[in-house]
Amino acid sequence: MAAEPREEMISVGGIKAHTLVGGRGAPLLVLHGAGGPNGWRRWHTALAEQFTLYVPSHPGFGRSDAADWMESVRDLARYYLWFLDVVGVPRASILGSSLGGWVAAELATMNPHAVDRLVLVAPAGLKPERGEILDIFYYPLDTLRGLQFHDPGQVPEWDELYGQPPTPEEQDVQLRNREMAARLTWKPYLFDPRLPRFLPRVTNQTLIVWGREDRIIPPICGEQYLRLLPNATLRLIEGCGHQPQIEKPDELVRIVREFLGAASPSASGAPR
Amino acid sequence: MKLYFFSEMPHHEFPDEEGDKYPSLRLDFPNSFFNREIAARNYHNYFDEYVLADEVGFDGIMINEHHSTPSCSNVSINMSAAILARTTKRAKILLMGNILPIQDNPVMVAEQIAMADLISGGRIVSGFVRGIGVETWWANVNPVHNRERFEECHDLIIKCWTTPGPFRWEGKHYHFRHVNPWCLPLQRPYPPIWVPGTTSPETALWAGRHGYTYVPFLVPLPIARELFDYYRQGASEVGRVVTPDNLGFMICAVCADTPDKANQAGPHFQWRMGPTLRAPVEYFAPAGMRSRAGQAMALRARPASLSKMPYEELVANDLIVAGTPEYLLARFSHIQRELGIGHLLLQGHESRMDHPTTMRSIELIGKQVIPALAAL
Repeated sequence: MAAEPREEMISVGGIKAHTLVGGRGAPLLVLHGAGGPNGWRRWHTALAEQFTLYVPSHPGFGRSDAADWMESVRDLARYYLWFLDVVGVPRASILGSSLGGWVAAELATMNPHAVDRLVLVAPAGLKPERGEILDIFYYPLDTLRGLQFHDPGQVPEWDELYGQPPTPEEQDVQLRNREMAARLTWKPYLFDPRLPRFLPRVTNQTLIVWGREDRIIPPICGEQYLRLLPNATLRLIEGCGHQPQIEKPDELVRIVREFLGAASPSASGAPR
Repeated sequence: MKLYFFSEMPHHEFPDEEGDKYPSLRLDFPNSFFNREIAARNYHNYFDEYVLADEVGFDGIMINEHHSTPSCSNVSINMSAAILARTTKRAKILLMGNILPIQDNPVMVAEQIAMADLISGGRIVSGFVRGIGVETWWANVNPVHNRERFEECHDLIIKCWTTPGPFRWEGKHYHFRHVNPWCLPLQRPYPPIWVPGTTSPETALWAGRHGYTYVPFLVPLPIARELFDYYRQGASEVGRVVTPDNLGFMICAVCADTPDKANQAGPHFQWRMGPTLRAPVEYFAPAGMRSRAGQAMALRARPASLSKMPYEELVANDLIVAGTPEYLLARFSHIQRELGIGHLLLQGHESRMDHPTTMRSIELIGKQVIPALAAL
């Protein structure tokens, strides 16, 4: 069992990001989705056995500073490029889920040299060729929770995450998270029409993971990412919704380890 | 105290059980239930009601704008203002109001209001509103920018009316390189500006600082007083003296020859308290549209929500005033004493209230209530 992560407030351009840092090994930057951070979970613990995880809350989310001036996921991607400078990691693998996956993809198009390997878990960012991205802002949060999972009964950490009604402080953070997510993604809704033009620059080894029963972002977006990224593979997880890291953490960890462990950090995935 | 007539121009022309199948009548209820022929007829009824209100002595006629909802088929406040500018003679035309945050071109809004003011002979009162979440969805404008866009759009409109062009505007949300509108309001420097409020303390403070007339809509009187306190706080910050002319209030009201007839008409107003407000909270207040203070105020302003109030309670709270001219006079006087307002806005039609009933109500208020109120 890896040690408990330590908490840091990492200041980037004057905006402090509340960050959990833990584990040992090559650096892995973990970027959360639009719902916000939800602490250090069992999948973090598992990956921390092989990697040093940096798990920040995005500006405006959780306990991080506000950044009301930000307007887009591109702003957030630039923030994290700077974040890597500040923590002294010139090149990191990045795992991003949903909104965080989109941030990771944007960041990689801006500077693929700052990225070792890329793991995109049900990333937003592309307009689905068929179907639509669910309008997460249109639904109450409890309705949305039901839509995020294929089968809530198989979520191993359900009680820890959702067993108790949120405290007033937690509700306030949820509203704050939602507000910042809206700020960054409102229009065009959860995609960047120009991202497909730049993705071919990202020759890094990339793993795309999708829950086959994702009801938030259609899995067809995984195929679109696969076509646009020159060195990507796509893994679908059966019987799983939008958050494999929560709904099927053990399977996700196995797939990610298989991918990240496949080559030494220094030699693999260097863009040409 | 001045009286104003207002109709939301509803389109309640479908079986209610069809509307009940959807989470909300707003945004979700399919417009395949929109009846084009009936809508065409209703518009003429609605504009005839306004013309009558003008003729019988209402101080003002009020219009508003909503989208994607059968509760209001007035989809362009400035278009309606232009019609009324030509078809009415003396009443103020109260726009309540242009929904500023969803505007992409404030210069055009300034031009349209100016044109209506010119045609009406300087009778426009220009309300500005933040709008409800439904309009934000309709326009797909980021709700987190709602207040910023409201204020910047306002500032640019005022500049259009006060600063000779051409000038440049490089703001945060609006960017125009050559602003030089060749249409300015007849009223100098510009029409009076009003602002409605339901729950937002920030809006009350803002209106107070600017000296704009502030009008809470359909809230219990204690909440209205609380909002007026915020308004006074804003006014005192800049050294403004608050007079009754700065304060208004909106209720629903219908007048009839007998109490029985009035009580048949009055319950039509419940449609705007319940069915047309039924929706997940996200429809009316999407992420970031309301401040935390505004959210807290919203919970207190409508504690049980109006939809759950029985008709008798709405009447007891003076949110619906339905009765004979004598009854209306008594209630209006009571509200005036309680709130110290100079303007009382009456939503005088709703739901399926029929056209003759509405016309008779307007006539009775004009002929009996308005003169009696003036004499008090």
